[in-house]
Amino acid sequence: MNRALRRISLAVLVMFVLLLVNVNYLQGFDTASLASKPGNSRAFYAAQNQYQRGSIITSDGKVIAASRLSTGNDSIKYQRYYPSGPEYAPVTGYYTIFGATGVEAAQNSLLSGNDSSLDVRKVIDLVTGKTTKGATVQVTVNSKAQDAAWNALKTLGKPGAVVALNPKTGAILAMASYPSFDPNVLAIHDGAKLNAVDKKLLTDPTQPLLNRALQGTYPPGSTFKIVTSSALLTQSPSTTINTSVDSPTVLTLPQTNNVLHNDQGEVCGDGSGQAPLITAFAQSCDTTFAKIGMQLGANALNQMAEQFGMNDANLTVPMPVAKSSYVIPPSQAETAYSAIGQFDDTVTPLQEAMFAAAVANGGTLMKPDLVQQVTASDLSTVQGMSPSVLSHAISSSVADSMKQMMLAVVQQPEGTAYAFRQDVTGIEIAGKTGTAETGTAGTGQVSPNDAVFTSFAPFANPNISVGVIIQGGGYGAAAAAPIAVQVIKAYQQAVGNQ
Amino acid sequence: MLVFAFALVLFALANVGFTLHGKLPSGAAFYMAIFMAIVILAHLAVRRFAPWADPLLLPLAALLNGLSIVMMFRLSAQVNPATGHPAISASQANLQIAFSAIGIGCFVAVLVLIREPRVLQRYTYTLGAVGILLVALPALLPASISEVYGAKIQIRFGSFTTIQPEEFAKLALAASFAGYLVAKRDVLALAGRRVLGIDLPRARDLGPILLAWAASLLLLIFESDIGTSAVFMGLFVAMLYIATSRTSWLLIGFLMFVGGAFAASKLVPHVHERFDIWLHPFTAANAQGNAYQLVQGLYGMASGGLLGKGLGGGQPYITPLVQSDLVFTAFGEEIGLAGLMAILLIYGLIVQRGLRTAILVKDPFSKLLAGGLSFMLALQVFVIVGGVTRLIPLTGITTPFLSQGGSSLVASWILIALLIRVSDTARRPPPRPIQDEGLTQVVTLK
Repeated sequence: MNRALRRISLAVLVMFVLLLVNVNYLQGFDTASLASKPGNSRAFYAAQNQYQRGSIITSDGKVIAASRLSTGNDSIKYQRYYPSGPEYAPVTGYYTIFGATGVEAAQNSLLSGNDSSLDVRKVIDLVTGKTTKGATVQVTVNSKAQDAAWNALKTLGKPGAVVALNPKTGAILAMASYPSFDPNVLAIHDGAKLNAVDKKLLTDPTQPLLNRALQGTYPPGSTFKIVTSSALLTQSPSTTINTSVDSPTVLTLPQTNNVLHNDQGEVCGDGSGQAPLITAFAQSCDTTFAKIGMQLGANALNQMAEQFGMNDANLTVPMPVAKSSYVIPPSQAETAYSAIGQFDDTVTPLQEAMFAAAVANGGTLMKPDLVQQVTASDLSTVQGMSPSVLSHAISSSVADSMKQMMLAVVQQPEGTAYAFRQDVTGIEIAGKTGTAETGTAGTGQVSPNDAVFTSFAPFANPNISVGVIIQGGGYGAAAAAPIAVQVIKAYQQAVGNQ
Repeated sequence: MLVFAFALVLFALANVGFTLHGKLPSGAAFYMAIFMAIVILAHLAVRRFAPWADPLLLPLAALLNGLSIVMMFRLSAQVNPATGHPAISASQANLQIAFSAIGIGCFVAVLVLIREPRVLQRYTYTLGAVGILLVALPALLPASISEVYGAKIQIRFGSFTTIQPEEFAKLALAASFAGYLVAKRDVLALAGRRVLGIDLPRARDLGPILLAWAASLLLLIFESDIGTSAVFMGLFVAMLYIATSRTSWLLIGFLMFVGGAFAASKLVPHVHERFDIWLHPFTAANAQGNAYQLVQGLYGMASGGLLGKGLGGGQPYITPLVQSDLVFTAFGEEIGLAGLMAILLIYGLIVQRGLRTAILVKDPFSKLLAGGLSFMLALQVFVIVGGVTRLIPLTGITTPFLSQGGSSLVASWILIALLIRVSDTARRPPPRPIQDEGLTQVVTLK
């Protein structure tokens, strides 16, 4: 029996050696890989406590998120705070003890000081005895444009969002969403209280946590006629903005009994059934562009929509952006609707700004980006912005035609946004309105239309393009365009154009 | 040795207090006083009733028990920010002290009542019946009072107190196996046909192992308790091997269990799930779902690293069930690799002292009992520690002495008492022969 017992002892020895080796592997060698696994809140917590988190500032130097020593009696050393909470919430996102969103999440490793690009500086800090801090992230947002966008949305009081881009670089100049939330209420260190606040925000029917600018998708309505017109001008080089196109007052859709009217049943152009393309565009004739859409076909529309950045689920700014979709319709009648921004077309407010930006930048669509520069605590630049081309949406000659047509929307008497032609002194604004029918949202009652507006200015040398979508805002010219005009005006003042 | 254990526990307790509150914890003196009192009581009982016993066993067990009290205190003293309350309540931590006292009470009672290990041999079949009844009880009872986390392994009294009868069944069955095997070992050792250099036992002698196998599989199926089932099977096979020295039994038992477990992993959903989370814990669905506990335990150990976060410095409360099944990971997080290796070595030492005792003792029943109990302890540590460190699939069994839970603690203390009793018998010097003074008188010649 003793021989067997000795063998059992040996087996036990093997078992314990296995355990010891495994524990050594886990805690000695595998720690880094485990720390980087998703859902490791301990690693998140550790990063949060290690260094003072860097600030987030606007391009003109306004601090929109910062960390200061926590005054509370808790184990977390620093308290995050947001000086203009709700206004910049779509940009900064929130930063809680459990997780983060927005720039706080997208640039987390740099802000927290744990990014590998900061390693050398950390060693220097160690030697010189300086306290290591997280890097400062400067976003491209201009505080004046942001103020204008946020104040306009707040005054209107309807759910919606505004995005302004620099068409030449893709820099996001303003990004506001209404209703918003105050990230300060989520920066608290009391987890139980935080959970209660979070639950309240999550169940709020007005969806304050939703960043509509990047994550909300809405029908583009007539602003999609930019895509339809671009497709026409690209496919048929002989067509100019003055070419006469079929513009019936009533259009019967093929294989259906559906009849398409223009808004309020109005006639297009002079009522002859023919109108110059630019007139139909400025007046936003549905029958004209429905017919053009059917002639071009869904595939051509789809291709142009994708060249303008739609159907891209992987766009990041660096936060992820919801996909703006053009769905190829199964029938000609539905293709007609899709050509005027109805059917299943949906876009984000950012996509609206991208429509105008591509046109304004001579047809080249720059990749939208929110991060201008990241500086380490010793003020050296860790990461700068390098504008990149997202796509060559249209040729420069087509872009010139599109610019002319968008200018007509605001500057010609028949244009849908003619009322705003003189709102910004000395600056010519070009744009396109949209009024999207959202149908009967399950209630049997017709819900108010979404107001959409995409624009750029100044016409001669565009430095800003603005996309606005207001849910239930009614006419694009009535609810969305005034907001875009205010943002443009504020930005022109900020850059000294006025 | 005891002083050393006391000092370690006291230091650990103070460490918790300073880390969490920046001062000595208010309950520390109270905790420490009770702990020291009961351990000294146990020490005196050993001195009185088992004076020749192995001197290492009690201090080692006391140290583990002390660390468990510290960890329970630490878990109850820190609020989880996500839930607003600590991993266990203060009353649950106090209960751990109470069960330590009860455990040591049982330890003393065993030493007092069982003066010779062989006494147990008389109750071979009684103990066997009691063991099987205890194992089967939760399976027979309605799920409302026996099910916990998908396994039917406990009996609930009222709303708070639960007993896991299998903890005691393990001891009863170990003693019963020992008695049975002592009686039958010569028959079981008879060789049958020889295949591939291994003497197979005779087919008719396969009865007992088939029975044990069937019982452990039933346990697996009806109580969904893989860990305990493995421990039972391992215990029986190891004791069979010790009794007969036939490698064939080892092979047969091992193959039967692995085969059974493999079949169960395909057929029983609960078991299948265990294998799945063992193999693929980090897939998004598993890491947030069934494997959450395992994964968070691993994250905890990773954050502890080589030296740990210090007692009170980690976030063990994130891991579900950190007070019971995953207590080992809480130690890993807070006292690091160094601490875990120390804990494993303490277990290793206890097992080694137990096996040493088995080798020393002459009486075959005591030999089997000590060998079986020691191996069972080793196997239990292997199953749970291997489980939480992803060496083998995680199955919910207690970590001896360290886990929260009365039944396990009390049963562990009884196990140590039995080992001490056997070691006392083993190391007791043989009675000196009555000497005839006349014959052995030493005469000094000049």
